[in-house]
Amino acid sequence: MDPLRSYLGRLLLEEVTPVVMVLTTPLAEAACRKSGLSLVDMLSPFSLFKKIDVPVRTASDQPYRLQMFKIRMVYASDVRKQDYEATDERIKPIVSEANESALPDLLSDPPQLEDVLSKPEAELCPLWIRKFNRALMRTLSFSEHETFDHPVACLLVVSSKDTEPISKFVDLFNTNQLPSLLNEGVMDPQILKHYLILHDKQDGPQEIAINILAEMKSTLGLNDCKLLCINSSTEADGVDAEDSWLPYKSYGLHNQEGACWLNMDDLNEIKDFMQDLASNHIIPYMEQKIRVLNQQVATTRKGFRNQIKNLWWRKRDDVPEASNGPMYTFTSIESQIRVLGDYAFMLRDYELALSNYRLLSTDYKLDKAWKRFAGVQEMSGLCYFMLDQSRKDAEYCMDSAFSTYLRIGSSGKRNATRCGLWWAEMLKTKGQYREASSVYYRVSNEEPSLHSAVLLEQAACCYLLSKPPMLRKYGFHLVLAGNSYYVSDQKQHAVRAYRNALFVYKQHPWSYINDHVHFNVGRWYGVLGIFDVAIKHLLEIIACSHQSLTTQNMFLNDFFHFVQSMGKKFDVYKLQLPAINMSSLRVIYEDHRTYASDADVNVSESIWQELEEEMIPSSSVVRTNWLDKSPDLRKYKDSCVCVVGEAVKVRIELRNPLQIPVTVSCISLICQLSSSLDASSAENIVLTKDAGEDISNTRPAISTSEDDGNNFTVSKLDIVLGGSETKSVQLEVTPKVEGILKLLGIRWTLSDLLVGYQYFEFDTKRKTKKGKRGPRRSLSGNLIVIKGLPKLMGCIDHLPTNAFAGDLRLLKLNLRNHSDYAVKNIKMKFSHPRFVIPGDLSEVDLEFPQCLRKHIQSEINTVPTKRTHEGFKGLLFAFPQDIKIQGGATFSWPVWFHAATPGNFSLYTSLYYEMESPSDITYRTLRMHYNIEVFPSLDVSFAIKMCSSKLKEYIVRMDVLNRTPSESFGLHQLSCNDNKWAISTLPLCDSISSVETVSANQAISSFFKIKDLGANSCKEAEDSCRSDMLLSCEGGTEEFDVSRSPITDFHCQERYQQGRLAKGPCDLLDFILISKAVGGNYSKSKQDVQLLSHHVCHCSALDQSPIWWFMEGPRTVTHDFSKSYCEANIQLVIHNSGQHDTSVRIVTFDSLTDKRTTVNLQDSNSNQGGWYDVSLENDIKAISTAKGTHYQKQPSDSISPYVWSSLSCAQVDLKPDTSAKVPLKACIFMPGTYNFSNYQLHWKVHSSEVGQVDENERTGGGQGHPFYVTVLQDAQ
Amino acid sequence: MIVCVAVVGHQNNPLYLQSFTEADDALKLHHVVHCSLDVIDERVNNPKRNAPALNETFLGLLYPTENYKVYGYLTNTKVKFIMVTTDLDVKDADARNFFRKFHAAYVDAVSNPFHVPGKKIASRSFGARVSTIVKSFGSGTTA
Repeated sequence: MDPLRSYLGRLLLEEVTPVVMVLTTPLAEAACRKSGLSLVDMLSPFSLFKKIDVPVRTASDQPYRLQMFKIRMVYASDVRKQDYEATDERIKPIVSEANESALPDLLSDPPQLEDVLSKPEAELCPLWIRKFNRALMRTLSFSEHETFDHPVACLLVVSSKDTEPISKFVDLFNTNQLPSLLNEGVMDPQILKHYLILHDKQDGPQEIAINILAEMKSTLGLNDCKLLCINSSTEADGVDAEDSWLPYKSYGLHNQEGACWLNMDDLNEIKDFMQDLASNHIIPYMEQKIRVLNQQVATTRKGFRNQIKNLWWRKRDDVPEASNGPMYTFTSIESQIRVLGDYAFMLRDYELALSNYRLLSTDYKLDKAWKRFAGVQEMSGLCYFMLDQSRKDAEYCMDSAFSTYLRIGSSGKRNATRCGLWWAEMLKTKGQYREASSVYYRVSNEEPSLHSAVLLEQAACCYLLSKPPMLRKYGFHLVLAGNSYYVSDQKQHAVRAYRNALFVYKQHPWSYINDHVHFNVGRWYGVLGIFDVAIKHLLEIIACSHQSLTTQNMFLNDFFHFVQSMGKKFDVYKLQLPAINMSSLRVIYEDHRTYASDADVNVSESIWQELEEEMIPSSSVVRTNWLDKSPDLRKYKDSCVCVVGEAVKVRIELRNPLQIPVTVSCISLICQLSSSLDASSAENIVLTKDAGEDISNTRPAISTSEDDGNNFTVSKLDIVLGGSETKSVQLEVTPKVEGILKLLGIRWTLSDLLVGYQYFEFDTKRKTKKGKRGPRRSLSGNLIVIKGLPKLMGCIDHLPTNAFAGDLRLLKLNLRNHSDYAVKNIKMKFSHPRFVIPGDLSEVDLEFPQCLRKHIQSEINTVPTKRTHEGFKGLLFAFPQDIKIQGGATFSWPVWFHAATPGNFSLYTSLYYEMESPSDITYRTLRMHYNIEVFPSLDVSFAIKMCSSKLKEYIVRMDVLNRTPSESFGLHQLSCNDNKWAISTLPLCDSISSVETVSANQAISSFFKIKDLGANSCKEAEDSCRSDMLLSCEGGTEEFDVSRSPITDFHCQERYQQGRLAKGPCDLLDFILISKAVGGNYSKSKQDVQLLSHHVCHCSALDQSPIWWFMEGPRTVTHDFSKSYCEANIQLVIHNSGQHDTSVRIVTFDSLTDKRTTVNLQDSNSNQGGWYDVSLENDIKAISTAKGTHYQKQPSDSISPYVWSSLSCAQVDLKPDTSAKVPLKACIFMPGTYNFSNYQLHWKVHSSEVGQVDENERTGGGQGHPFYVTVLQDAQ
Repeated sequence: MIVCVAVVGHQNNPLYLQSFTEADDALKLHHVVHCSLDVIDERVNNPKRNAPALNETFLGLLYPTENYKVYGYLTNTKVKFIMVTTDLDVKDADARNFFRKFHAAYVDAVSNPFHVPGKKIASRSFGARVSTIVKSFGSGTTA
């Protein structure tokens, strides 16, 4: 890029130009004032020549042509060093002026990244900033160490009205009035003088002036005198005048008063005058001066001899002047070189200028005249730039100039600033934006806050312009700039800088900075009185959860302050306080499905559907919508339905992100209910459903939907959210008329100051996720409101949430019809009939548990079990047809509860009812859901073994283990399920009654005898042997009837459930153990009597066989062994309890070894229950020693101590249910106790229907039961 | 003295930022760290400057301000470590040494199975370890 065309190039061409000092008489000035201008103002527009096109020849012989040229016109009074404070005051308006233009910008949205990057450079760095830069540079005009501000020429202006104009000219250039700089010798007073006689045409004819001019020419010189006529216009204000000034307006000329007396001719004359002055006087003068000075420099300084001399001379002079630095006057050779360089620079002979600057820089360096040295370095840097030669050299020079200026302290600060600005511009021209910005940044450190702010802003722009853009630095510098602006009381600029930086921090979670920027922008907007924007910005940060408590407080306080300043409540879309968890949004509405409590809604729809499958009419089972009946509504098939007068509930979570508690009041839903069902509104709904996002974008006016009290009512909720608290709120809307209800959003009032609202986002894509209640219940904001329907409310009273296994209770199902219409045909179904069974209406008022007591015989007959076991398999319970619940009525029904097994259970209950009156929906269901936790209480198990000494009798061992940690249970009653069984304690074990309480973790075992009375013998049951047995004495006669509902019903369920798990087909009987809680926390907490029933079903004997046998005979035999051996007469009783004819063979044997093997055969069976025969030898030994009798002879293993004497084998045929007795005889040789078990039974079933009998049961065998006979020696 | 250390994720999101000054200049340090990312980006995108060290993780002096010196370190997973110090003559070796220790601490912190990658490091033991490393930095220069 051509350096002359660059911004810096143009800047230098305009700023580093020859200065013409203007001296005027007051009258001349007054003539100009008529047009509202000063003389300089009048001439300045014409001092810029775009195409002067004059040939210039400087030191070299080669002439070149200048195109653009400018001269600066300055009043002599202004030729002085500038006062910093005064100039700073002058700069301030430039910045403030820009404020006003920036104001509309501030009201718009802050810029985004794309906007900023696409902006051209000029826009980033607006005009006022350039103006500011220039103004900043100009504060350094007429400094003593630089000569390009030294006047090249002097224009002396005298009015034609002045008396004795010639002497006035002389007076004007009187040294007393000249600027001090000229007098002090800093500037060369021997400059080109040009004399101008100014003639105001209104004051008289031109001739006077011409005369004066002629006189001037003769005295002051022929070429240096000029006449200028002005104010030739006859009218005070001409349209043409306005137009004629137009081209020059841009040069800072403002014709404010409008009274312009200058006409076109005047302007042309001025133009000609200036052209003449520049091309014929100033430029030739400068050329000549350059040549003279160049000659002078060449003779004194150029050449080897001069350099040596210079060095030597300087070294000698160095010492005395070192303290104060050498003082240079215009006559000193250094100043002359400087003038030479500057003139050459101004005439654009940069080569010449550079060579002189370089010469000078070494001199100044040796003299340690740092300021001058820096100035020269600065200029040589600019020369390098203009020559576009060595970029590196240019930068080096600027750098050294800059740092030198900084080094010399406060006096060089402003110079450093100017140097930095030039340097930065230079770098910008070359595209080195990063370096430029760092220069700006360095400069900004040296300046007062206002200047530094502008400089920082430029630095920021440079970062943005660098490739790639360094956005973070851009943001940072803007923030710094904003801060400086704020400090220097330029709030608009501060806001502008900050908001420009906003986008930098938006995308990344640098929330700390982002909050700071937003907060300050908001606060400053507030200070500026633009509250709405202030609030908008503060809204961004009030939900800052990551900030400290004090910061949050500060943000919130400021925010509320501005909101209050607004003076009215207003709505904020998507207010972040409190945060609303949209994913937690649940809409709860009831169509034909109603729910007892809100928690029941969360249950999966499929569970309900399964439960209700056989209950609801078949049309619904095949899932055709009942709405199909009314064609109008067909298009809303997918919509949800709610009922007039019934609240639609919306549950949503609110979270307070702050640590400060906030009060949120008036939380309510935003709804719309269009009561008309015409096609247009229907289409609307379809549309909005398709584009759910649109709802929030279009933002329907809230006010319209807010107080629509005629159509629906919304609930209002006030809560206080503590620090970081999350609360789930439930909002309700109750439609009052039919139509379509739209749930649009939620609104709330924060701290009674402002209203926040947010629209729901019903995302159709997430339907599957949300549609927990089946695909048909997708969430869309639209609900169809239909006519009012009856609705039942219901609950099961006192249903425990936790219970011990076996817990039996009588509960009450309460139903209430809240509507005005009656309902009928009520059905009910429980998901767990094992746990809950509906009772009978007659049981409602019964007292529990007394009602379960056994009644006298007659009563049992009058209250029959009405449900057969088969009929109860179906879990559906239909209330009697005549039961109708009228509007407003309540209804109760008993329900039995039994905690069957330990564990967690969800009990689902669905109640079906139909409408008495015809309506849109023919039926509704009431769904109830309870969670019950059942703790383990008593583990009851039974082991049964056939009694070896009695026919049809079994020995039962009951093992009870209390598994509770702290409870005690009293065993109350043990019952069999069937009357054919008689249960009694073992004759010798009456002490069982004492073990009536099982404490925590205790395990007890007790033994019983049960007797099979047979099917026909139940009638002859005596009191002593009944199917029920009281275990507790304390309880007295309180005996519970297990054959009546509900125990029998629960028992059926238990049988069914446990039967599924039972292994074998042979089940003998079921036991029901009823116990009571007697101690521990559980029973104490509840005053009512705890009744527990444990059902153990499908118990079977360990060794079940169709043949029973046992020995019968005397247990004690007294015999005199001295006489003979003893013969014991015993008989074996065999009973066939099977269904078929059986032949039984009895084999007796004497050797023990055989028996051993057979025992082992059966061990596999008998070990299971822990019932097995004790070894015989030990018994014999034990008894004989215990008796203390003579121990005679240890019988050997191989020889039996007794010998069967009658027969060794017998065969008996037995009909079903008959007994036979086989007499046996054994010979005993010495006293003792003998076990006559050395026999075996083998049986075989003879059956016509062989196939019916199991192969295992057809044949079988058994070892003889132990039968002990004690034989004593006769005393005689 | 080290006034601030920071861990910045590969999406230039702050993962950990701890200042060790009593003064309330957290915002300033945030800005300094944030700005340094620009320089890191630049260094990473123009690798020719440090061509010899292809796998060099230490990025050296990023950004000298009037009060601070900012040093950077880039792990292989593009996580940046930034250290802001007030010492005006820091030996590169010291800075390297510091970053090596810091890196080890960071690796241990993110190896925690309960740490979610890309989220802020909340580990208290990491904080304690970092502060000991920071404290040892001052003494390490003399020792």
